[in-house]
Amino acid sequence: MEHQPSEFFSRRQFLKDGVWTVSAALGGAASALLAARSRRQGWLWQIDPYKCIACGRCATHCVLTESAVKCVHAFALCGYCDLCTGYFGPEPKALDTGAEHQLCPTGAIRRRFIEEPYFEFTIDESRCIGCGKCVVGCSAFGNGSLFLQVRQDRCLNCNECSIARVCPSRAFVRVPADQPYLLKDAAS
Amino acid sequence: MRQLLKKMRFAKTNSGLLALLLALGAFGAGFIAYLILDRAFFVKKKVPAAYEYPIEQLAVIDPGLIVCRQVGSPIETGLQRASAVDVDAQGILYAAGDEKILVFSSSGRKEKEIILPAMPTALKTAEGLLYTALTERIELYSPQGEQLAVWANIPAALLTSIAVGREDVFAADALHKVVRRFDKQGNPLGLIGQKDAERGIEGFVVPSPYFDILIAPDGLLRVVNPGRQRVEAYTFDGHLEWHWGSPSMGIEGFCGCCNPVALAMLPDGTFVTAEKGLVRVKLYDDEGNLLGVVAGPRQLGWQAPIRVCEGPQDCQVRGLDVAADPQGRIYVLEQVRNTILVFEKIQ
Repeated sequence: MEHQPSEFFSRRQFLKDGVWTVSAALGGAASALLAARSRRQGWLWQIDPYKCIACGRCATHCVLTESAVKCVHAFALCGYCDLCTGYFGPEPKALDTGAEHQLCPTGAIRRRFIEEPYFEFTIDESRCIGCGKCVVGCSAFGNGSLFLQVRQDRCLNCNECSIARVCPSRAFVRVPADQPYLLKDAAS
Repeated sequence: MRQLLKKMRFAKTNSGLLALLLALGAFGAGFIAYLILDRAFFVKKKVPAAYEYPIEQLAVIDPGLIVCRQVGSPIETGLQRASAVDVDAQGILYAAGDEKILVFSSSGRKEKEIILPAMPTALKTAEGLLYTALTERIELYSPQGEQLAVWANIPAALLTSIAVGREDVFAADALHKVVRRFDKQGNPLGLIGQKDAERGIEGFVVPSPYFDILIAPDGLLRVVNPGRQRVEAYTFDGHLEWHWGSPSMGIEGFCGCCNPVALAMLPDGTFVTAEKGLVRVKLYDDEGNLLGVVAGPRQLGWQAPIRVCEGPQDCQVRGLDVAADPQGRIYVLEQVRNTILVFEKIQ
């Protein structure tokens, strides 16, 4: 008796479907694996910028010699002011880059002319010690575009953060490792 | 054998001492390990003075400069986000915010609420009408709350102040950094304050949404130029006549990056200015000479340079608005607590 292939399910079709199914499953598994691996696990320390009062303790209480906390700048919030109160001390004699006029104790803020009368301010992280002096000046008088963040590439993620222990406004919080920063933005 | 027994007896009698020595040794080793492993132990505890910004020292004002006193208790508006205050010739007080205008009697009792379709960004009462700006447009209301007119939208504008003249209405647009001139029907007539080197106009600098204007009895428009820390006088045609004001943390100038944030005028022609940041309300003559302080940071409830906020909305920079009535009383809208404080000159 001659074997007749099924009208609906031939061996060729079965193999073809099987290859597709296995390929799709492998592809899905690989994607899931990649996604899972790219998602860092655990919790990290971070500063809630809306609770931080820039008391200066981030500079002195980190276990690292040079604090893991650095100033960051939300450009979308910045007024690009000539008289930037995060850059200049209380009574600058001139609005220039003279060290004697600057508020930052380490000269970590760079001032660059954009167009009259606007200037751009950027943070030199290699100089920033996270004291937050500029944050006080910017928040007290300006738009609050300068704020402090724990730089995760520097932070040792101590189980009990020594800065969090002394933070007077309880601004130190735990954040998921896949959302390591709490940034200010213009929309807020 | 005897010696061994002797040693065992010695050990037995001194087992307590040995245990104590062992415990002390363990404690010592643990303490040394703690010092080595807990690096926080070595952390410096005192914040050096170089890292601190003593703004509190700047908040102290010579009491001899204060020429006004607060009248009565602060008026609680009950608003979540109060934006503007104004007072009419009869002493009726208006406060805008939270998609409404609140009407208070001259004694500070809340009389009425006028519901608006959006958050008001400016308020001006003139000729028995209420002019309110809703970000991009101006709407007119009767004191009873009836909507009388809606002027056309100005795309991407942020109208933060309105001034009403005999035939003209002016609106300060903080986003475009110009003052817009309209006729009484809302037809645009021109712009004031655009950069113009030939006319000596440097342009307005408005880093934050505080940009106030008023029409003085001399027929000139006064416009706050907050980024340049000064008040500028313009004709209705846009000619810059003069300006006054200078930046300074000292009491004689305007502090910070962008002040003053609000302007009002007393019946005798004295200007009332309000500053955000280091909150101060002061009196100036028309040449920019300081005449006195209405209220300093302490009188306005200022406590610290940075507030701990509940969230982004709560943390937005909040300033002051000021208004003055025909009797010379000064109304200060304090936008953190959303209260109105009333001051009058000390006789």
